[in-house]
Amino acid sequence: MRLSKLRADVLALLFLLPFLIVYVLYTIWPMIKGVEMTFYKWTLIRKMSYIGLDNYKRLLQDSEVWAAIWHSTIFVILTTPTMVVLAIVLALIANRKSRLQKLYRSVFFIPSVLSVAVASFLGLFIFQPYMGFVNTFLHLLNLLPQDSEIFWLSETWLSWIAVSVITLWWTVGFNFILYLSAMQEIPDEIYEAARLDGANDWQVFWRITLPHLSPITKTITMLQIISSFKVFLQIYIITGGGPLDKTRPIIQLIYQTGFRKNDLGYAATMSYVVFIILLVLSAIQYWVNNRKGEHA
Amino acid sequence: MKKGFGMTLAMLLTAALALSACGSNNSGGNGGNNGGSNTPGNNESSSPDNSGGGSKVTLSFWTLFSGGDGDNMQKLIDEFNKSHPDIQVKNTKLEWGEYYTKLITAVGNGNGPDIGISHTSRLPDLINQGVVTELDDVAETAGVDWGTYNENLLSATAVDGKHYAVPIDTHPFIMYYNKKLLRDAGLLGDDGKPVLEQSADGFIAFLDTLKQKLPAKVTPFALSNSNDDPFRLWWSLYHQLGGNDVISDDLSSASLDADKGAKASEYIQNIYAKGYIKKNDPDFYKNFQSGTAAIMMTGVWATGTWEATKELEFGAMPIPKIFDQEATWGDSHTLILPVTKSEDPEKRKAAITFADWIAENGQVWAKAGHIPSKPSVFDKQEYKDMPYRGDYASVADTVKFSKPSTKNWSIRDNALFKYLNEVWASKMTPADAMVKMQDAIQKTLSE
Repeated sequence: MRLSKLRADVLALLFLLPFLIVYVLYTIWPMIKGVEMTFYKWTLIRKMSYIGLDNYKRLLQDSEVWAAIWHSTIFVILTTPTMVVLAIVLALIANRKSRLQKLYRSVFFIPSVLSVAVASFLGLFIFQPYMGFVNTFLHLLNLLPQDSEIFWLSETWLSWIAVSVITLWWTVGFNFILYLSAMQEIPDEIYEAARLDGANDWQVFWRITLPHLSPITKTITMLQIISSFKVFLQIYIITGGGPLDKTRPIIQLIYQTGFRKNDLGYAATMSYVVFIILLVLSAIQYWVNNRKGEHA
Repeated sequence: MKKGFGMTLAMLLTAALALSACGSNNSGGNGGNNGGSNTPGNNESSSPDNSGGGSKVTLSFWTLFSGGDGDNMQKLIDEFNKSHPDIQVKNTKLEWGEYYTKLITAVGNGNGPDIGISHTSRLPDLINQGVVTELDDVAETAGVDWGTYNENLLSATAVDGKHYAVPIDTHPFIMYYNKKLLRDAGLLGDDGKPVLEQSADGFIAFLDTLKQKLPAKVTPFALSNSNDDPFRLWWSLYHQLGGNDVISDDLSSASLDADKGAKASEYIQNIYAKGYIKKNDPDFYKNFQSGTAAIMMTGVWATGTWEATKELEFGAMPIPKIFDQEATWGDSHTLILPVTKSEDPEKRKAAITFADWIAENGQVWAKAGHIPSKPSVFDKQEYKDMPYRGDYASVADTVKFSKPSTKNWSIRDNALFKYLNEVWASKMTPADAMVKMQDAIQKTLSE
């Protein structure tokens, strides 16, 4: 019995091996190498010199790094709740029995198939002054005087709004699909029973739909926090981190430090700080979820 | 049963993988063998098939040019390959945004090209990283005469008296004007040149007349509101005032002349504030190209684009002398010989011959608008036949290059663009910006 289990394990390992080799070589090994890099001055070409904890000391005093981490946090705060709420609203719309059901589903999901570059450039054109869609539309409705323009991408808070709106539009489809499938798994009998008891739409939503969605909401929230914290390309393309680096997220700073300033050691140090932040966030989330699970 | 099927499938897949791996191994091996047997065959000049007699040198050349520049470079390479049967240059076009990163990493692991391109301003960084080689020895062997190059361009590529690059052009910041609009505003002279008093007040008066006389939808001065081009204008005016780069001669500390820097940025801020430049213009090239802007400033590379634009009647001239002396921003494309594994002297000699030939045939390269690096090209009929270029060729002598610091691009991106952009948007006073820039330059230098 024992022997046959061992044999099965060996066999399984054998089949896993091709993947494992690639995984170790291209994911695990670079991660370990990354730790080493944080202790060196390291350029794109080669290891320069051992500098001990200098990268870490420098990081603690580097206001640019903390500002960038704060900017990523702002983005998380702006996009996570909106992403969850919008996804639920869209799923509710698409889940209603209606002739347009199929249309809703595809329309809400289609933006997700765009690549980040396409979505960002669309965003760039939409929010452009003079010719952009948003300003032209506001002019058309006379909400904006004809001779004035809103410079979405030149003011810090307007830039945040622009980037968040584009990200919402672009990525909400994925969460929407998750919610839609979760909603369809809620048994119809519960709704019927509630209706018989005289519950109105509002009560049905708050007392039945939402509680049943709570496990998926936890998952989505966690995934969303992590992916929002890792935001880079859409901001890089739309605002470039400006004005005055006030929308520059930490990943952009890591990219610029590593590949523009040719300082891979310091960039690796920042990456590890981000890694630790995400690890802590995930741990808190996990802990909170499990504790609630026990009591429920 | 189910398990058995899964097993079979897995075995089949594994077998297929193993087989295909064998297949690719085999063909790889063959390719390698062929390559191996070819190379010695080529080197053995005793081979009767080699009617040329000498051995043929093949050079790999990495470029970052696209559009018109890319076409012109390809034309030059084809021409060179035709006229030099013993040398074959192979062009690999890389994306401009990734070019330097790729070059540095490729050279770092020994897979770099035989010839590469570098901007003069980026050269010190490449030298420092050990990417480029010194050229003096090989230039002597190949008989390259450094004296045939424009002194201002050449000296910007030499460090400690040693040559590291062959400049093929300079692409300074100049001014373009729309002749039709200037004529409408009564500002075009009989010679087809703008009626413009070359002084601080004169230029403002010129812009003001354009604004008064032309319809409201016409932009007097097309310029972007951030980053490169307004920075280039600032750099030009700062040097017109007698400024000398933003770092000290020993390249170790920030030495921005705050008074001159503030004066130059205040002048430009005023141009923005008075509305001569369209606020946050999304595309100032298009603005000028579609004939809705009276003047514009950018690098000479735009000349070819304007020429290809139908019904755009334009002229080109150096940046006006607004302050004390003529000066403008500029950079150069240079050819470099990156560090290679073998450092084959034959290849290096062929490579520098190619580089010198490209500079010698600057009239082709000038089609895109660049100013050739060899003054002798100015006298070629082909060059003279091209309009506009002659109007700004003299600028080559007044270009103010950056000092040879390895941090030039970092300083520009992280210390200068950022705060100047705030000044243009009137969110920061010029004096405050200079203080912040000085700090940021110092920070970049000490990193």
